[in-house]
Amino acid sequence: MGKFIVIGERISVTAPTMRKAFAERDPEPIIQRCEQQLKAGAHYIDVNIGPAESDGEEVMQWAVKLLQERFDNVPLALDTSNMKAIEAGIQVYNRSKGKPIVNSADAGSRFNRIELAANNDAIVIALCSADGIASDNDERMAHCQRMLEEGLMHGMEAEDLWFDPLFLVVKGMQDKQMEVLEAIKMFSDMGLNSTGGLSNNSNGMPKHIRPIFDSCMLAMAMMQGLTSAIVNPNDQRLMETVKTCDIIKNNNLYADSYLEI
Amino acid sequence: MPFTPKKQAFNARINAVTLGTGDKSVTIGGENVLPFYSFDAPIPNKPLIAAEISDKLLAGVNAPALLAFYAGCETMADMARKAETMPGVSAICLHFETADPNAENTSIEECVAKAKEVADAVEMPLIIMGCKNVEKDGKLFEAISSALEGKNILVLSAREENYKSVGASAGMAYNQKVGAESAVDINLAKQLNVLLSQLGVPAASVCMNVGSAAAGYGFEYLSSTLDRVKAASLAQSDAQLQMPIVTPVSPETWVVKEATAPEDENPGWGDVEERAIEMEVCTASACLIGGSNMVIMKHPASIATISQFIDSLM
Repeated sequence: MGKFIVIGERISVTAPTMRKAFAERDPEPIIQRCEQQLKAGAHYIDVNIGPAESDGEEVMQWAVKLLQERFDNVPLALDTSNMKAIEAGIQVYNRSKGKPIVNSADAGSRFNRIELAANNDAIVIALCSADGIASDNDERMAHCQRMLEEGLMHGMEAEDLWFDPLFLVVKGMQDKQMEVLEAIKMFSDMGLNSTGGLSNNSNGMPKHIRPIFDSCMLAMAMMQGLTSAIVNPNDQRLMETVKTCDIIKNNNLYADSYLEI
Repeated sequence: MPFTPKKQAFNARINAVTLGTGDKSVTIGGENVLPFYSFDAPIPNKPLIAAEISDKLLAGVNAPALLAFYAGCETMADMARKAETMPGVSAICLHFETADPNAENTSIEECVAKAKEVADAVEMPLIIMGCKNVEKDGKLFEAISSALEGKNILVLSAREENYKSVGASAGMAYNQKVGAESAVDINLAKQLNVLLSQLGVPAASVCMNVGSAAAGYGFEYLSSTLDRVKAASLAQSDAQLQMPIVTPVSPETWVVKEATAPEDENPGWGDVEERAIEMEVCTASACLIGGSNMVIMKHPASIATISQFIDSLM
C-alpha cells in the first residue's frame, strides 16, 4: 500500500484572509499558506474558491498557475461547485506531480462531476450522499456503488474515485461515528480509495480539543482503511499520527527520523 | 480475449549517480523498474562491475590465474592499469586493508600517495574502500577525497559512527560520492540516508551499501534487505531509499572456507581457484538480481561471467 495522502485544506474562501486574497488576486497570502502546508508534509493542496459564480474560471486558472509555477507543479484539488471553473483550472493544470482532483461529486445534484472528471482524466472525490446525509450505511453504499458504476462507465479507473463517507460532527451526531468508520471499512474491503473532510468530526469543539479528536478519528479511520483525508497539515499532533499510522500499517519504512521527513 | 501483460513501471525512480569524469565516467541507477525488468520499461543504465585491488597487492593470493593476470605488477597503480583492460570492468576499487590500526597500520599519507598514483595511471572511476576501522576510515576518506578532488570518486563507506565526518568531507567539502553503509538493517539504511541529507549531502551524491555476505553465509538476510529496499524505493516512492546500491562482493567471498581451504584437505571439493570463482559468481549474480546497481569483484574469470550475465539479461 502507498502512503496516506494528506490534502491540505487551508486555502479556502471560508477563511477571511483567503477570501480577500482571492478577491483581490493578492498572491502572497495564498503562497504563504501553500508553503506552510507543504512544509508540514501535505501531498495535495485543496484550492477552495467557493461558488465563484461570476469569475470562477479566471480565479481558478489564476490560482492553479500561481501555485504550480511557484511550487514545482504541486498537485491540487480543485474545490468549487462551479463546473466551468474546475474545467478551466484543469486546462492550465500541469499533471507531472499527480492528476488533478475534482472536489467534489455526490450522488445528488453534483453527480455529473464524475463525468467531468472522466472526461479530463482527473481523480474525483465522490461524496456518498445525495441531497442530504445518508441515513445509514445501506444508503451510503448504494450511493457509492452508483457513483463507481458511473465512473467505470465513462472509462475511469476505480482507483481514481476517492469515496468520501462524509465525516459527521460528534457534537450532535455522536451515535453515527462508528457507522462512518464502518463505511470506510466497506470501501477498503472493495479495494477502493477513500478520503473526506475529517476535521468535521470536531466542529464546534474548543480549539485545544480539536487536534485530539482529529488525530484519534484519523487513527481509527486509517485502521479501517482510509487512504487520504482533507485536513490541516499544520496540526502537528495530526501529522504525527498520520506518519506513525503509516509506519504501523507498513506503508512507509521506519527510520528513527521518520517524523522529520 | 488477447492477453495484455500489465507493465509494472513505477512512478518513482532510483537516483542516477555518476562516478568519475571524462569519457570513462559511468552512471549507475536511474531505473523505474525492478532489477532487470527491462520488459516493463527501459533500464537506462545497466548494472556495472568494479575490480577490487587490495593494497596488499597479491600477498596471500593462492589463485594461479589471478596471479598470472597481474603478473609483473609491483604497485597498486600497475594493477589498476591492468584491471582497466579486464573485459566487463567499469571502475577500479582500491581497498586499503592495511590501513587498519590493528594490523599493518599503513599511514594515511602512504595511502593517499598510492591513491594519487593510481588516479594518475588510470581513467576509470575510482572507488575507495577502507579498512573497517571507523576512525581511521574517516580520516582516510577525508585525505583521499581532498587529494583526488575533482575526480568524482566514491568512498566506501559512511557508517552510523562516522557519517558526519565522511559526509561533511567527502560528500560536501570535496564534492565526491559517498556510500552509506548499513549491515543488513533496512531501518538503519534509511536512517543513514536521512541523516546524510539532513547534514546537507545531496541525494544525488549518495550510494548505498546495504550490507554484504557471501552466498551461504547469511545471504538470505541480505537478499530480503535488497528486496525490501527496492520495494520501498519504487513501490512506496521512498525518496530516502532511492540511492543506487553498490555491493562489495569479493571482500566477502574470498575469505570463506569454500574459497580458501586447500584442495588436499578437501579432495572432493575440487580446485580452490575454481571454487573461489564460483563463490564470487554465485554471490554477485544473486546481489544483482536483488537490485545491486554495482558489484565489486576480483577475479577476471568471474568478472567476465557476470558481465555476460548482465548483458544477456538486459
